[in-house]
Amino acid sequence: MNTEGVTRRRIRFILLIMAGAVAALVLQLVRVQFGPYAPVFAARAEYGAAIVERVVPARGQIYDRNGALLAANGTMFYIEIEVRQLTEKSKKDIPLTLSKLLLLPLEDLYTQVTTDWPALGQYRIRLTRKDAQGSPWPLTVDKTVAEVINGFLADPLAPDLSGLDLVAAPKRVYPAGTIAGHVLGFVNQEGQGFYGVEGYYDEWLSGKPITVHRPFIPLEARLQPNPPSGVNLVLTLDLAVQQMVETVLKDTIESSLAESGQVVVMDPRTGEILAMAAWPVLDPNNYEPWLPDTVEEEEGNPVITPGVAGTYEPGSTFKVLTMAAALDLDRVKPETEFIDNGQIEVGGHIIRNWDGRSWGQQTMVGCLEHSLNVCLAWIAADRLGATDLYAYLSRFGIGQLTGVDLAGEVSGELRTPRDPDWTEPDMGTNSFGQGVSLTPLQLLTAVSALANHGEMVQPHMVRQVVGPQGAYWPQPTVLGRPISRETADKLTEMLAQSLEGETRYAAVHGYRLAGKTGTAQIATEKGYDPKWTVASFVGWGPLPDPRFLVLVRIDKPATAPWGSVIAAPAFQEIAERLVVMMGLPPDTSVAQQTVGG
Amino acid sequence: MRWTGKTMLVVIVVLVVSGVYLAVNARLARAGRDVLSLEARRTELLRTTSELNAELASRTAPETMMAKAVALGFQPAQGDDVLFLTIDGYVPPSDFVAPRPPAEPDGGQAMLSPAYTETLGDWLMRWFGPSGDSS
Repeated sequence: MNTEGVTRRRIRFILLIMAGAVAALVLQLVRVQFGPYAPVFAARAEYGAAIVERVVPARGQIYDRNGALLAANGTMFYIEIEVRQLTEKSKKDIPLTLSKLLLLPLEDLYTQVTTDWPALGQYRIRLTRKDAQGSPWPLTVDKTVAEVINGFLADPLAPDLSGLDLVAAPKRVYPAGTIAGHVLGFVNQEGQGFYGVEGYYDEWLSGKPITVHRPFIPLEARLQPNPPSGVNLVLTLDLAVQQMVETVLKDTIESSLAESGQVVVMDPRTGEILAMAAWPVLDPNNYEPWLPDTVEEEEGNPVITPGVAGTYEPGSTFKVLTMAAALDLDRVKPETEFIDNGQIEVGGHIIRNWDGRSWGQQTMVGCLEHSLNVCLAWIAADRLGATDLYAYLSRFGIGQLTGVDLAGEVSGELRTPRDPDWTEPDMGTNSFGQGVSLTPLQLLTAVSALANHGEMVQPHMVRQVVGPQGAYWPQPTVLGRPISRETADKLTEMLAQSLEGETRYAAVHGYRLAGKTGTAQIATEKGYDPKWTVASFVGWGPLPDPRFLVLVRIDKPATAPWGSVIAAPAFQEIAERLVVMMGLPPDTSVAQQTVGG
Repeated sequence: MRWTGKTMLVVIVVLVVSGVYLAVNARLARAGRDVLSLEARRTELLRTTSELNAELASRTAPETMMAKAVALGFQPAQGDDVLFLTIDGYVPPSDFVAPRPPAEPDGGQAMLSPAYTETLGDWLMRWFGPSGDSS
């Protein structure tokens, strides 16, 4: 009994101690959960349990109309240093190894690695390099170099790189290199799109980054939320046509010793831009020289996408618009005669022909064929008048944005009688493309009304937008009908006759084409440049239902100033290749041979 | 003695339930780790796919293909080199449609068994709750 009592007391004592321990634990749990320091404990638990990450979705890819990849996503690696893991040896080995591997100055790397970062409150740093201007840029390496560095990290006999870490990040790559670089634009290291398609559709392509808590020990089995992906884009561009056009442009620039140039090819029926080339080229894989901070600030940065931002005085290619207005209002007919005396006075300003000659009796076809300034100034001043001329130019969209889906478009400049600085002589000079500035795409859009039987379609670069939910095909937008179908067809026929006569450099065997040359002076602050010109040609075909419309612009050719000599042959070469690439049979061979049935 | 025995029984039951609960949570945590590592693997594979696509596109870029064609003796066709034929019933290839970007998953809930998502409280409610639904 006595022994039993002792045992019972001992058991009760043990249970009492256990109950006390449990009570203390419960008390502590209540204090941690609900006490005054509960938020502190909660934050500590959160800090130790997970890391907060910003997840950036993969940027949408860009394809040409046939599925060729124009912009894709690769990988680059930032080089980061976990300062607390550095050893005395790695502080020397890391700068030395990277300096040799990446051909970078040793001193700069050594300074970055050995700086007392903890004193500045930083424990992890990203190494940088300096550009030509001395500005620091995050140091990145490609996959090959990353593999070498990872090899060093794994090899105990290699230099000590303790504390060095490679952090993978997406990098935009352009597999076609410089081809279509001006159209595509580029994406910087932070994932921001600049210029062209990348700039215009940046928000759509980049998707929406999100912030997630990634637990070290997940207490629930669920997928992390994924950020909404960026859309994929299919452009109207045909990579093969683009490459051909760029080759022709490059050859023309080199053979004419010109400074720069552009070519734009468009389908006048739909407004789809098939090619947009510019020289000098832009390499989107090496975009640093083209960043806004780097590029010398010019109006609209015309060097980036000259097709939509490079304004110029169009010269004689503009005459087709003046003639279109006069024909549409029935103020002249193709056979209307004009006696060219070699000069005409408009508002007290004497206008002469490009060669200073008087061409005598001419029809309107002859006026276009010989590109007579005097004749067009007569049409503007005597047959149209300022009100009608500028009303038509406005309907053609001159001085307005086309609304093309490329970043950086500018509107050009057209002074009208409503502007205080407009004078009457402007009407005379504007009639033949002087004193008015526009972009290549603006002129092409206006002329598309002639090539598309009077209807002007908005130029565009994106053909298809593909998101996670499906594909969306933007429909062509009709900008207006500035002239009637009859006028458009009549003027096209006049220009086809003109091409078969004077401008035979631009003719293509087996096809009827229409077009107009342009040789424009270059306006400077001190008047027109006495030496340099812009040689251009705008043409379309094959008639009667044109499938392509081409503008060639060559700036400052040295071998000859004339559009007929410099730009027309380039148009001819492009048109000869286009009819083959687009599968357009010649007039005489349609249905020559039938197979099958 | 009887009182002590009952107490020990309760303690043992509590320990068994705790053990089961711990085992379930351990399995859950391991499944969670698996999900995380699979997600990391998926991200890596997507990145590799993208890189390979870019590499393929780079190797078939127009300049590369043109150089290869010229080296093989080809030259760009001119108008006179081409004979156009009209073929009855010919259907041109359809327009290219770009692949869809990956859709946002619904948090993965639909793919997971309730064994991984319900709490002990949920489980107890399911068994002993007012509905009495224990299926």
